[in-house]
Amino acid sequence: MPTQPPVSSPSEARSPGAAPARPERDGTILEARNLTKRYRLGKREVDALQDVSLKVRRGEFVALMGPSGSGKSTLLHLLGGLDRPTSGEVVLDGEVVSHLSDRDATRLRREKTGFVFQFFNLIPLLDVYENVALPFTIAGIDPRHGEAAARIKDVLELVDLVGRERNRPDQLSAGEQQRVALARALVAQPAILLADEPTGNLDYATGGEILDGLWRSCDERGQTIVLVTHDARAAAYADRVLVVGDGKIRDEIELGRRAEHDARPLIMRLALLGL
Amino acid sequence: MARRLRSALTIAGVALGVAVLFASLSAGSTMDAAVDRAATDEMGHAALRVQALEERGLSQEALSVVKRAAGVEVAAPALERKTYLAASPNQTPSSTLPAPVTVLGIDPVAEPLLHDMPLSGGRLLIATDAQDALITQTMASQERLRLGDTVTVSGASSGPQAFTIVGIVAGDGSLPDAAGRLVIVPLASAQALFDSTGVTRVDLGTPPGVSADELISQLEVMITTEPYLLQKTSDTADSLRAETADFRGTLLLVAAVVLFAGAFLVFNTLSMTVAERMREVGLLRAAGTTRPQVMSFVLLQALVLGAVGSVVGVAAGIGLAVLTLLWVGSTGPVALNGPEISLGPVLLAMIIGVVVTLAASLEPAWRAGRISPVEALRRGPAGAVAGARLRWLALVFGVLALAALAVWPKSSASAAEARGSGGLTVDSAMWGPLVLYGLLLAAVLIVPRVLRPLLRLVGIPFRVFRNEERLARSSLARDTSRTALTAGALVIGLAMVVALGTAVQNVRQIGATWLTETIPGSELLTSIRPISATDPIRDQIAVLPGVKSVSPIGLFGVPLAGLRQQAAAIVGKDFADDGRLTFVADGGDRAAALAALDAGGAVIVPQSLANESAIRLGDTLTFTTGETPTRLRVVGIVAHSIPGDAQESILVGWSDALGPFGASGADFFAVRYEAGQESSARAAVDATASQYALEPADLGRVRGTVGDALDRVFRLLDALALTAVLVAGLGMVNTLSMSVFERAREIGVLRAAGMSSRQVWGMVVIEAGVLGIAGSLMGAVVGLLVGGSLVAWSIGSLALAFDPPWTSIALAVLAGVLISVTASIYPAGIASRQSIVRALQHE
Ligand SMILES: Nc1ncnc2c1ncn2[C@@H]1O[C@H](COP(=O)(O)OP(=O)(O)OP(=O)(O)O)[C@@H](O)[C@H]1O
Ligand SMILES: [Mg+2]
Repeated sequence: MPTQPPVSSPSEARSPGAAPARPERDGTILEARNLTKRYRLGKREVDALQDVSLKVRRGEFVALMGPSGSGKSTLLHLLGGLDRPTSGEVVLDGEVVSHLSDRDATRLRREKTGFVFQFFNLIPLLDVYENVALPFTIAGIDPRHGEAAARIKDVLELVDLVGRERNRPDQLSAGEQQRVALARALVAQPAILLADEPTGNLDYATGGEILDGLWRSCDERGQTIVLVTHDARAAAYADRVLVVGDGKIRDEIELGRRAEHDARPLIMRLALLGL
Repeated sequence: MARRLRSALTIAGVALGVAVLFASLSAGSTMDAAVDRAATDEMGHAALRVQALEERGLSQEALSVVKRAAGVEVAAPALERKTYLAASPNQTPSSTLPAPVTVLGIDPVAEPLLHDMPLSGGRLLIATDAQDALITQTMASQERLRLGDTVTVSGASSGPQAFTIVGIVAGDGSLPDAAGRLVIVPLASAQALFDSTGVTRVDLGTPPGVSADELISQLEVMITTEPYLLQKTSDTADSLRAETADFRGTLLLVAAVVLFAGAFLVFNTLSMTVAERMREVGLLRAAGTTRPQVMSFVLLQALVLGAVGSVVGVAAGIGLAVLTLLWVGSTGPVALNGPEISLGPVLLAMIIGVVVTLAASLEPAWRAGRISPVEALRRGPAGAVAGARLRWLALVFGVLALAALAVWPKSSASAAEARGSGGLTVDSAMWGPLVLYGLLLAAVLIVPRVLRPLLRLVGIPFRVFRNEERLARSSLARDTSRTALTAGALVIGLAMVVALGTAVQNVRQIGATWLTETIPGSELLTSIRPISATDPIRDQIAVLPGVKSVSPIGLFGVPLAGLRQQAAAIVGKDFADDGRLTFVADGGDRAAALAALDAGGAVIVPQSLANESAIRLGDTLTFTTGETPTRLRVVGIVAHSIPGDAQESILVGWSDALGPFGASGADFFAVRYEAGQESSARAAVDATASQYALEPADLGRVRGTVGDALDRVFRLLDALALTAVLVAGLGMVNTLSMSVFERAREIGVLRAAGMSSRQVWGMVVIEAGVLGIAGSLMGAVVGLLVGGSLVAWSIGSLALAFDPPWTSIALAVLAGVLISVTASIYPAGIASRQSIVRALQHE
């Protein structure tokens, strides 16, 4: 195991409204223990994940890389409580989240996680503001006033969408749409942001905008992020890269927090691993 | 899964439509058959019936003239009177009158030649002068009479007479009016019994080659001394049929509307399938499938849905027909048995089911054919303009209605040709339903225009669920055309229920006002035979304490312009004193008119007849009473007059009635009590009345019976019309399932963002609720408009206060909303239970 360098600090940016942090001694906010996910396909059983364990520290930016079908999305879903593992458990912010009832899982999603997917993140009939405000409206909070409004304004600034509030998704470019999705995932200041190939559908430059947004939220606000990606350039933004293959974590590449996101060192490390 | 559900729902929708259609066709043909049977029962083998118009009957002279007419092979005269069985000595007198019996005096020789009289025991009448009688099997069992027993019937002044039962006629006998209580005696005995020299009718048999029409033209010149009516079998059937025509027309209309709603379902389903398979079709096209092949694929699917639905529908329809006939029970005097299942209606219902399904699938098929490979793969938005699709569907149905119209008169006209006349009644009865159908069709076209603002409006109360309401409404707004179609089915279903309800309410109200407006009293004492002016009954009742007035009213037929016109003899003064009758504007002066009636030579005409025959105040009406026609001056026109069998009566004074018109007396007395004394005086009046074989009936009860009969029929129609709402509900399940299915990913995103499954559930249910409320409200409004115009159309103007049955309408709207919300439970369940991961993985 490579030694893990200390993470750059700023977790004091957390605002009072977020879930109370129960600091672990080593700063771990998310831990997976011996996760297995088994799918039944007719008579055959497929292990999408086998005995996966990992830890993510508060404020850390972790990338999951691996070939198609290796189990990245499955892992991400389990980490965010969207799905239940066949065995093993997930502890998020001091709470076991892998075996929650539907109700508690809903609460968890509302309070502690934010998701960004590759496609179709937005509700087509709601405008930008309404889409970003969804976590609040769902919770029954009026998003037009008070702290909610302030936070929405804040994330819209972060993703550089101020002035586009009244646009509908179909009036936005793909990159802008993805930025709206990012803003929505961030607006409730979740304990962890989970992104599944958010740049997979975008061209190089537009993908860069999203990655910059992710990076800034992590670097400036201390947002913990788990990013699933195929793309070494995207993974190069992360502090640490976990390489997934055949349902297992094959390798771990520690990049550390850097201002530059040059992908070449990562690509070389991956090449050494035969990827 | 979703697709199989959709097919099942569509089949159910088509099946319901076909079931109602089949039930209505089958009920119709059963009624027809029953009517035909009754008509042939009544007329037997007679080619023509000469029917007396006056109460005293046709004279002996007229009878001999008829017998002498060339082409008359057999002439069977008969005298028909209603009376009571004489009370047997050991019978305790009771205040309720026994059921009357009908005495039919026949020519024992001629009658069997024209009328089959199947016996269940004994023999036919032989000697003309014997005191022998036949009774029906029904009566034998009711009165526990057997062969050889004596049956004693009350007569006129000569008192009761006893007859020996020598034969029992099978079943009810052949006189529908007698309701099974029939005593057949020799004509001479009947004449003696009732102090009469006349006959009620003469049935004529002709040798082969002589047509009824030839006989008619001959008789018309031969008998000119007294009024009479010539009647062919077909006329009898027609007049019986005319009574059921409205009902049958409405049944068919309801069936058409249910089918229409079913067509919405088919249309929606296939449109969804096409939209869903856009890409698939595009690939097929890219791989070289031709446009007709693509279209035939959609049409084939429709054909399968239509065929399966029709088969299921006919099976269900048989059950529905049985229930319908059981519920209706009888058409006028003709009792209905089980449905007659013949191949005709079965095939017709199936063909119509399939044709409607195919018609509804034409547009989706055409749209599928137009999918271009490139476009499909790019997956452009599949939404056409709602109006266009609906317009198309309405067009299809307009064409179908026209086609039906083109087919309809042909069949009835050819049938009418065989009968020589008639047929017109059926056609005119079809107009009402057709107009209603057209109005409903037109109303559907407005749906897309008002839907959006209406949805917004209806959504307001749901704003409590801020988020869900917003999402539900936007989901409804997403595919306006689909939403409009779904709502459209609901709209016509409900409009139908409300329109029918409104029409019934009006009929009922007219009925109520009618009686109070035209009867000078609160109680009726009816008699089965006319009570002559010299009879002391009236005075005996009039002197009873608490009785204010007793007014005799006689009903009879008068010949006017070659037709039988219902007339009523009244005492003008009683009407004037009691403040009855509403004179229309320019309808004459009430006091003067009623006084003129009593003075004689005057007539008061109901507005309906005045409009129909262009009669004005001051005109002289000429009645062809025998050799000297009777001329009466029109002194008044009233809004409503005393209702007769089929039309409103003209009102004449007693002097004219008893004189030239040959009426023999009062058929009922209207009793008015002194204010506040009705309850105390009532018992004495009723007791005296039943002593004289007068049946007392409260005006409220008369109204109630009429209303009940109406209610029965209309409740049936309502139930059937609600089927349309039910079909709309199936459409709702379909649309919502589809919408949930399409939004799987969106729902996944919402769930990932923290929406609870309960909130998702609520979102779908609210969607249905909003749509249901909007559709139902629109349906109610359309129904009120349609019902209102029907009412206005049928009575000429909205003279009566337009007072729709608000409670029923509210209930119907509630039913619509409930059905919609119920329809959403299944799709809402799917939406809320759906796995988030699965939804996000999808595709
Ligand atoms: N619902 C399911 N039922 C059966 N097998 C599944 C299901 N979901 C995923 N799998 C299988 O689990 C394995 C891992 O899938 P997963 O989606 O996690 O891979 P991935 O690494 O995200 O791939 P990609 O990069 O293509 O998104 C695959 O072999 C997939 O076929
Ligand atoms: Mg994946």
